Amino acid sequence: MSNELKELEDILKITFSKGLVKEVRKVEEGHFDILTTPDKAYDLMKILTEDAGIYHLSTVTAVEREKEFNVFYHIQHRIEEEFREVSINFIVTGINKDKPKTPSLLDFFVAADYYERECYDFFGIYFENHPFMQRLILPEKWPDDVRPMLKEYGWEELKEITLGIAKQISEND
Amino acid sequence: MVEETFRSRFRTEVDGSDAPPGSDYHMFIGPQHPWCEEPAHFIIHLKGERVVEANIRIGFNFRGMEKAMEARTWRHNTMLIPRACGICSAVHQNIYVRVVERLAGIEDQISERARLIRMFSCEAERIHSHILWYGILAHDAGFDTLLHVSWRDREIIMDIVEDLSGNRVNPALMLPGGVKRDISKEKADRTKPKINDLIKKVEYHKKVFVEEASIRNRLEDVGVLTKDDAKKTTPNGPTGRASGLPFDVRKASPYELYDQLDWNLVYYTEGDILATTLVRLDETLESLRMCNQILDKLETAEGELLARVRPKIPAGEYFGRGEAPRGEDVHYGIANGTDKPERYKIRAPSLGNIDATLKRMDGEYIADMPVILRSYDPCFSCTNRVMIVNDTTGEKMIIGQDEFALKAIKAKKYNRPFF
Repeated sequence: MSNELKELEDILKITFSKGLVKEVRKVEEGHFDILTTPDKAYDLMKILTEDAGIYHLSTVTAVEREKEFNVFYHIQHRIEEEFREVSINFIVTGINKDKPKTPSLLDFFVAADYYERECYDFFGIYFENHPFMQRLILPEKWPDDVRPMLKEYGWEELKEITLGIAKQISEND
Repeated sequence: MVEETFRSRFRTEVDGSDAPPGSDYHMFIGPQHPWCEEPAHFIIHLKGERVVEANIRIGFNFRGMEKAMEARTWRHNTMLIPRACGICSAVHQNIYVRVVERLAGIEDQISERARLIRMFSCEAERIHSHILWYGILAHDAGFDTLLHVSWRDREIIMDIVEDLSGNRVNPALMLPGGVKRDISKEKADRTKPKINDLIKKVEYHKKVFVEEASIRNRLEDVGVLTKDDAKKTTPNGPTGRASGLPFDVRKASPYELYDQLDWNLVYYTEGDILATTLVRLDETLESLRMCNQILDKLETAEGELLARVRPKIPAGEYFGRGEAPRGEDVHYGIANGTDKPERYKIRAPSLGNIDATLKRMDGEYIADMPVILRSYDPCFSCTNRVMIVNDTTGEKMIIGQDEFALKAIKAKKYNRPFF
């Protein structure tokens, strides 16, 4: 067991079951990374929210790597007596690029609803068991297969699509 | 499991088929409406005069900033990032430069003086943002006298910001490695009496909010968000602190030199709109006192204003947070060894507060709606300058508001092109 894992367990006052956590990294004092995989993410978050009592989700970030997608849940462990927060980056690694799928963690945070939809909108990552996996920000007429934050789409290409939609709307009116 | 009553209010069907049972009227506000300056579409389902449920649709002002940042260098982005928000531009820039410094590994080279000037800029911004907000709140509650009084006094802090940075709303003082401008002894000396003057005026504003019945009754026991509801809907910043969640990033994980200043964390437990207002009023006073402390410290603080940062940032990633006037502001930056970011994520505080605010509306009167919706401080861009690009030649010009108006009038009068 690594020292970082031990330190995090002491702060959260819990013990992780074996094999759930892939790796724990310490970024700085009171700031940790927890790495896990899509099939274990739900169980691990269950421990963090129900046993350790974490309830605050700052945001969800999706990142496109060379061979995979990563989804970051930035959660805060709050110690109310000391007015202190411990930042934890809960990282779901190894999401397949051809069929990006990861379990939705909506059961633990209401806020995950719209943050996950934002990731779906921009990256096309599908969150399983999310009851309302629809677009959040992009316009209704935006083509379904274009996920603008992917590296394959350049600035000029997106500009053309946007102007095309505007033209289509003005012609219909 | 999340109970059905706490489902996110961002789930709206385009055809309106998701209206809750029992509602008999449906009100649509926005995206363009005289009440709300920011483009959001509120859908409010009513039964008689009471609100059954309020929903929201967003995405009308999407600018593609994260994508734009990937196409620009780290240096260019220093000037793009304050445009994320019209009012809280300094805090966005502050978090950005801290992320860049951390990735470049020059955190320890930033001098005390540079950090103090950054903090002054952030606190001055918090003061003018809060005064602006409670002015508009008074206007929404139908108490326009307080709007005029508070905005008159807000000019004091706006003048201070303009004196120190050259700009009223977007000071843009920070760069990776330090700050651009110094606060000289003369400027500090002429700023201090203004701050002491403003402290007295904000204390008077607080007295009006607490003692004047016509405004207090509009805010007290209206739109109560209990602590349990707050934990479920995860609000941040003043919205959370009014409901008894005492968390402020400046205290929770101190950045810059906030742990060296003497200041109090403000929080209330009532959870109504009056508590939200008092949190911001008390915070304004705390920030003003912090400004005084910073100016005192600046007399002795020394050091280079700007440390050198190489344009190529080594590969790495960092999650930076800061306390914006509206709440917790979150940035996540990934560098790949070149001079451009691989990915940069911004989450501005208002997005996290919308769910909690719409939860407040349940069962309230429709007449209280403007005050409740205003409570999370919806943020809209306001700048005084405009850049005009000639479509055919690509020629650019930057002009002030008055000049722009004059040119536009002339162009119309003499029926000639703008350029």
